[in-house]
Amino acid sequence: MALRLNLYHEVIRAKALKRRDPLKISIWGISAVLGCFALWYFFELVRMHGINDEYLKAKGEFSRVEPQAKVARKREEELNQQAATSVKMVKRIEGRFYWAPLLAELTQVVPREVQISRLGGELSGDAVRRCSLSIDGLSAGTDPRRVAEDLRTAIADRLSPHYKNVTSTFKTLEDGTEMITLDGKQVGTATFAIIVQFTASDDTQTAPGRRKK
Amino acid sequence: MKLGKEEIQKIVLGGLLLLGVVYSYFDLLLGPLMKHAEQTQQGIGALGPEIANAKAQMAKTKQMELDSPQQTLPMRQALAMIPEGSPVAWFPTRTADFFKKQGVDKAATRMTGESSDKDLPGFRKITWGVDLPKVEYVTFAQAIAALENEEPLLEISAMQIDASRDDVEMQHVFLTVNNLVKQ
Repeated sequence: MALRLNLYHEVIRAKALKRRDPLKISIWGISAVLGCFALWYFFELVRMHGINDEYLKAKGEFSRVEPQAKVARKREEELNQQAATSVKMVKRIEGRFYWAPLLAELTQVVPREVQISRLGGELSGDAVRRCSLSIDGLSAGTDPRRVAEDLRTAIADRLSPHYKNVTSTFKTLEDGTEMITLDGKQVGTATFAIIVQFTASDDTQTAPGRRKK
Repeated sequence: MKLGKEEIQKIVLGGLLLLGVVYSYFDLLLGPLMKHAEQTQQGIGALGPEIANAKAQMAKTKQMELDSPQQTLPMRQALAMIPEGSPVAWFPTRTADFFKKQGVDKAATRMTGESSDKDLPGFRKITWGVDLPKVEYVTFAQAIAALENEEPLLEISAMQIDASRDDVEMQHVFLTVNNLVKQ
């Protein structure tokens, strides 16, 4: 067996040591880590750029639609107000108190023995509207007071189906001094003043003239 | 392999340097970048519903605009019934003409009051006194029925009917009417 002598073992060992230099390996390692970090940062930078683009796009769209939405909101308020006013207008028109049906009812209820000398009517209140009538007149007959009383009750009976809370009361009822001729007979008279009150309309009631009987 | 003292120092120093670099990287570079990205994404997230709301608002208003002519029809009709100009100029004439058409020759109308109506912006309420010195009851009642039907913006708030002493067939009537006019 031939004997081999390595006279360069020290040189070889030095080379091997140099190859496995921890400092060199560390530098390579750190460089690799830094490279990875740089790549990661670059990746994040690109992603950030994309997000930023998306944000700017959204912001641009918002800047475009927001003034339009503001105008639309204002317009909506105007339209709502107009609609509300229109509804209130209809409500007011529908909720008016109609005097003509009342005059017609009174015409039906006054007998020939009665002469109305004064008829006054007044509406009061806002939400619940009350109507107050004052009817002054002269009744004639064998019992003129009875005639006046019949008129008072007849008014209440006639108006009750059409209006709420009808009350009919005498303010005054006095025997008259003068005698009149009725159907060829001299009969006595009485002067009266009747106060009629009723609810003309409220929020739940429609116009009396349009109510179904 | 045995490390020398100098090498160990270098490794320690390198390690410290690496730690510094890693800390700086995350704290000064990547951290703020990711934080900014997160904030931007939150901003996008917040803008999304606002844009959707704005678009919904515009669509809603557009729909309301389409429905509006139908909803405001009564008000527009009412406005169309009110003549231009001062009510003092046209209302008394209009009332006189109306009663004349109904067979009541004399009708004198005077303004007695004026008030704004908070429920009806754009309108005001004018109170008038209408004096009918000589009118027959049935004719008057028919005229009132016609007035109430033809003038929806008008409401009689009070009336006084007095029998005439000179002519038993005739009455003297005084009406208090409220009329809505343009502001």
